[in-house]
Amino acid sequence: MPHSPFLDQCKLTADTRRHFLGWGMGGLGAFFLNSAMAQPNGSKNAATAAALPIQHDPSAPLSPLPPPFTPKVRRVIYLHMGGSPSQLELFDHKPELTKFNGRDCPDMFLKGKRFAFITGVPKLLGTMFPFHRAGESGSWISDRLPHLEKRIDDLCIIKSMRTDQFNHAPAQLLVQTGDPRLGHASLGSWITYGLGSENQNLPGFIVMISSSSTTANAGKPLWGSGFLPSVYQGVQCRTAGEPVLYLDNPKGVSRAERRQVLDAVDEINRETYAQFGNPETVARVAQYEMAYRMQLEASDAMDITREPAPVLARYGAEPGKTSFANNCLVARRLAERGVRFIQLYHWGWDSHGTPVDQGLNVGLVDCCHATDQPTAALLADLKERGLLEDTLIVWGGEFGRTPMQENRGGQEMKYIGRDHHPEAFSIWLAGGGIKSGISHGATDDLGYDVVRDPVEVRDLHATMLYLLGFDYRTLSYPYQGLDQKLTGVKPARVISEILA
Amino acid sequence: MSLEPRASGYLSAPLYLACVVLVTGAGLATAMALRPAFAHRVLELVGLEAMPQATPNSFYATRVGPLFAQHCTSCHGETRQKAELRLDSYAFALRGGRHGAVIVPGKPAASELMTRITLPAGDDRAMPPEGKTPLSPDDVTVIRLWIAAGASPTTPPSAIKGAPRLVAEVKFPELDPAATRRLRAPLAGDVERLSARYPGLVVYEARNSADLELDAASRGAAFTDADLKAFLPLRSHILRIDLSGTAITDASAETLAQMTALKTLRLANTKTGDETIAALARLKSLRSLTVTGTRATKPALAPLSKAGVAIHGDDNAD
Repeated sequence: MPHSPFLDQCKLTADTRRHFLGWGMGGLGAFFLNSAMAQPNGSKNAATAAALPIQHDPSAPLSPLPPPFTPKVRRVIYLHMGGSPSQLELFDHKPELTKFNGRDCPDMFLKGKRFAFITGVPKLLGTMFPFHRAGESGSWISDRLPHLEKRIDDLCIIKSMRTDQFNHAPAQLLVQTGDPRLGHASLGSWITYGLGSENQNLPGFIVMISSSSTTANAGKPLWGSGFLPSVYQGVQCRTAGEPVLYLDNPKGVSRAERRQVLDAVDEINRETYAQFGNPETVARVAQYEMAYRMQLEASDAMDITREPAPVLARYGAEPGKTSFANNCLVARRLAERGVRFIQLYHWGWDSHGTPVDQGLNVGLVDCCHATDQPTAALLADLKERGLLEDTLIVWGGEFGRTPMQENRGGQEMKYIGRDHHPEAFSIWLAGGGIKSGISHGATDDLGYDVVRDPVEVRDLHATMLYLLGFDYRTLSYPYQGLDQKLTGVKPARVISEILA
Repeated sequence: MSLEPRASGYLSAPLYLACVVLVTGAGLATAMALRPAFAHRVLELVGLEAMPQATPNSFYATRVGPLFAQHCTSCHGETRQKAELRLDSYAFALRGGRHGAVIVPGKPAASELMTRITLPAGDDRAMPPEGKTPLSPDDVTVIRLWIAAGASPTTPPSAIKGAPRLVAEVKFPELDPAATRRLRAPLAGDVERLSARYPGLVVYEARNSADLELDAASRGAAFTDADLKAFLPLRSHILRIDLSGTAITDASAETLAQMTALKTLRLANTKTGDETIAALARLKSLRSLTVTGTRATKPALAPLSKAGVAIHGDDNAD
């Protein structure tokens, strides 16, 4: 490349006072670390556990990398039920609550509490649907999930989840990134950063969205890479039309012509990298190349018309539509092709009782109808193909729903609903390394608070990382002076009780 | 020459010695009376008292001791002994501290230790002190049940009913790159050679392991019987093979049968059939086999199934 005074100036201005201070402080930090590590007994505890080195080849940032320890699962399918399904209508059976239906909520539950919408003294609301025991495990389940009920012996239901966020966006961010604020790396990003991707022709982290009513609250940051290199962010795919927008070549452009364009762009990018050394430039080259390879593989992976009719019927999938059923079937196809983290969102579980589609008796029923059969089909299909034994499936929302009926503005509402409830919610896990056919933890008789084996979101994350072969204390990334971790700075624990 | 008469105020040597012994003895006795912990120490030293030892599988050793170690011994242990109390062994715990015994066998209500660990957080005398992780209600129950049952060093866990179940915490092994290098040394050359020829296909299962995984599924139809054969030098280290959708045929039966370490094999959507299945019977370590979309038949799979291999995808097999 010819010498360019302009580029030289760019390079000089790219090195700012911050860089100088950064290098200086880095040296100081190393000096301090050295003396701290020299202390006896210093290396054993969590606080000083050395960061796990993650070294990807910059030109192949998604090359597969073994986890530190033998993993129990190779991939994750996360079914996020956006808006938060009511645990009291699905998994957490509370006959006592039904007994007190319509009575004023006891003062002890309201003192010092803040709710998203409930004001004054709300009434207790009994479970809307009948519960029964199912499967050999005899786990409780309501009559809204007849298909999942047949797979209940594959599930580990955690009834004692807790969060500290009571609004959707921050609560979703906490569940998906480990922090309620923007800017942190999502679960899938951490995992593709730590493990790379088995399949170099597909992204390691794919996101698909369906909805019964409302749309995403926290949006794209839920699958963002935060402080991690951007190549690890989730790639949103669609099941109707092109899987990835603008993935196909424009009309009249052949694959060979596309290759020529890419070669030229790559050359410019590589020169820019030689000049500035910004790793994001290399990441960009890698992403262009992957998009080129994806043009062939992604279209095939996402194309459910290649599935035989009985399989489509089993999921309730209809090619060409956007639905949770289609997404579940694609998830199975992606799992077969070595995609590491498959994230499905289904929105519409926010059953406040304000509009009709947010009623427990209408909206929740619709959501159950849209998700029950495909979820059960996904479990059964993965099991039959031998994939469930090394896949982890996580199902859950971002918080729970109150045992009280929502009385927005102190009014009786037209439809029946429950408010946001961070104190307790239910999720389930299934797949490799997890005890199946069990329930873990419990709430009190009204389903208000966790009374046994509380599980924090960071405990769930620590457990997910454990199953993938990581120590949650050492998978970290230095950013803003802190070794950032998925589990944050508060003490987390692997939920050893649910491990097989 | 005669000896100088001694002044009458002086003691004779034996008497003097006797006095010294008496004063020392009185001092020791007083110290022993005031400081029980010290008394035990002295009695042990002179062999008048044995240090009681907890048996390894006792309720104390499996349930109570670990709680003390987790919550108490940083201040009441080998390096520090606040209030002269140590809780890092059964003998020390029963012995008590400066103010006497903290555990009264059979009487939790009279045991100072129980009082301290059940005081509300914020009380100055509550233990562990503010800022330290308090014992959980289950932990307190475990200690109470043990004291109530006689605070014995030998009672087995089964003899104390109603104790909350024991949760084994996950332990992460330490990574030792040098040890892993040694482990991998015999096969490193082959892995490197094959990785150059088939980038990304064969990977170590974990960073602390010499076990390998072979994932050929992403190669699809470009991966043939000959390619699989190339991996034979690694046969005693490959635990998992995914051949889904590859061009593998029954010609690979013999190759697969030589993969002696194989635990998981995926043959989904390949042109393999009963010949391959029959060969797999020689693999003693095989645990999981996927035959979705192959020509494998139920009768051929039956012996594997009987041998404990989980067969996936045989629902549609004839």
